[in-house]
Amino acid sequence: MMGNGKNELMGPLVTGYKSYILIGVLLLVSLPLILAYSTLIITSFANTIVSNPWVKFNFTFDNWIAFFRGELSTTHARIYSTGEILRMIGNTIIVAAGVTAVVLGGSATSAYAYSRMKYRWRKGSLKLLLLLHAFPGVALIVGVYTIYYYTLVKYIPPQSRTLYSFFFVILARASLEIPMSIWILKGFFDRVPWELEWSVLIDGGSRWTAFRHAVLPLVKPGIAAVAIFAFLAGWEDLIYVMIFLPPNQKTLATFIEGQLASGSLETSYLPIMAAAGTLYLLPTILFFIFTQRLLLETMSGGLKG
Amino acid sequence: MKLGHKLSNAIFFLLPAIILIAAFYILPLIVTTWISFTPLRDWKISQLTEFVELENYKALYKFVTTHPLGSLVLKTTIVFVVFTLIVNVLGGLLLAIATYVIEERVSLGFRLLWLIPRMTPLAVFGLIWYYFFYGSPQGTLNAFLLKLGLIDQPTFWGTDPNLLPWSAWSIIIFVNGLVGVSYGMIIFYSAFKSLPPELLIAAKVDGASTWQIVRHILVPMARWHLVFVTVWQLLSLVTSYTHLFVLVDWRIVDEWYGTTWALFVFTEAFGTVKNQGLAAAAAVILVIIGSLLGLLTLRIMRFDKITLEPKGDI
Repeated sequence: MMGNGKNELMGPLVTGYKSYILIGVLLLVSLPLILAYSTLIITSFANTIVSNPWVKFNFTFDNWIAFFRGELSTTHARIYSTGEILRMIGNTIIVAAGVTAVVLGGSATSAYAYSRMKYRWRKGSLKLLLLLHAFPGVALIVGVYTIYYYTLVKYIPPQSRTLYSFFFVILARASLEIPMSIWILKGFFDRVPWELEWSVLIDGGSRWTAFRHAVLPLVKPGIAAVAIFAFLAGWEDLIYVMIFLPPNQKTLATFIEGQLASGSLETSYLPIMAAAGTLYLLPTILFFIFTQRLLLETMSGGLKG
Repeated sequence: MKLGHKLSNAIFFLLPAIILIAAFYILPLIVTTWISFTPLRDWKISQLTEFVELENYKALYKFVTTHPLGSLVLKTTIVFVVFTLIVNVLGGLLLAIATYVIEERVSLGFRLLWLIPRMTPLAVFGLIWYYFFYGSPQGTLNAFLLKLGLIDQPTFWGTDPNLLPWSAWSIIIFVNGLVGVSYGMIIFYSAFKSLPPELLIAAKVDGASTWQIVRHILVPMARWHLVFVTVWQLLSLVTSYTHLFVLVDWRIVDEWYGTTWALFVFTEAFGTVKNQGLAAAAAVILVIIGSLLGLLTLRIMRFDKITLEPKGDI
């Protein structure tokens, strides 16, 4: 884990006025980041783009209302219905939830096997997982799309194609998260003492019983961490959703992408996009607020491999 | 106890992952390699069984060596990878040191702040930089520079022909650096955290300044991590294309000055050209480079030593 840290035993290394200078420098370096994010969020509640501190603006919910009403142009023409906007949000949730389920289902038992069992190829395949995690995704997507398109055209009747594309995009996107998720979960399994399972096995229970009833309840934080990362991965995806889902099935990502790629965006319309973007950013922010330590620790553990 | 069923037990537990990895890594890799030897265009799947031998590779070689855009893709890739790598590794190290030496509460805030770009949905991250580099006076960068009197006219920073190529290159390096820098930060920070506190206390008692502690304890201690982060980030930069796609797709930067090798594969396959045979050939090259870098990382990680033996196997 992250060590017991120095701070319990001694204070911070830099104190007094020097620490204020250092924090000042850090703030300055972080300024573009702070400015860029606050532009997005404040603009979503303003009647104009609030791109700098000197802009005068009025607080308003109009952008949010316009977004949910589908009024996406200056003339207040309704380009989408409210139902269609909700559908986009629903699609984003379906993909994110689907990816979460597939990642958990695909990684939990394997992580247990890597943590507890000895078999041929164990080390070799662990290495392979690490290589796969860093594998050029763009080389995969060409092959994955070919398989998708081939099977779609050859075997899937037209009325089932939308369902098939959702099914495929969820499996394909989730697979990208599988190698790292196994590594992260293995780390959590490694920390569970083995005596509990031992007693289950001694009593004649199967490996599955030991896994399901003795170990799994003890790695709930690990499951939660992997679930959060998987959900955010499915939630944030643009490329896979854009390529695999039919054009009439939009998510928040492809909706924003479609609006900006058209190139005909008017300045007055940007605040409505800011509302869409802020809504889309919301789960990320919520996870940051509520699970900050879990995120940081899992990242350092997971990234270390 | 089921002592005799070790392998079948392991396979039972590993099966879901084996299926997903076979279907979405191994098989696609074979298919991509296959396509690189076919004339596939516009996803005309009947062309999947026609073979053109090495035509795609030859065309790719010709594109890179004779076509101006081909050499531009190479140049952009090298500039992007080298400079973003420097930003990610050195920036990550500096951030880790800064957040290590200050008070924990403030440090946590900064570390979380710098993690946000990594977790932000791609489309939102694109959107905020769209606003930031927007070419009207309302763009954040233009607004600040106008206010400071550094420019008189708002500029489209990533596409203005007078400012290319370094303007577009700076933007792709900047935007990807913001995402990548947190990787080094986290690795180096947790390396520092694992230092025994006694060491630091002893150094302080002996009158070492903070600078000396950073120079003689923290940096040497992170030496191995530096090598690891450098190679791993090198690999991920060579293969990354998603953020570049958004920057180019939304014309935040010029199309060609923002296109690296990996993005070239993507636009060639899924953009307006739709020449999948050529794209696949370029992808295979990427896979070869990626695999070599990946194997190098495993060596550097001293992988065999850090892997734990399975606990309590019977």
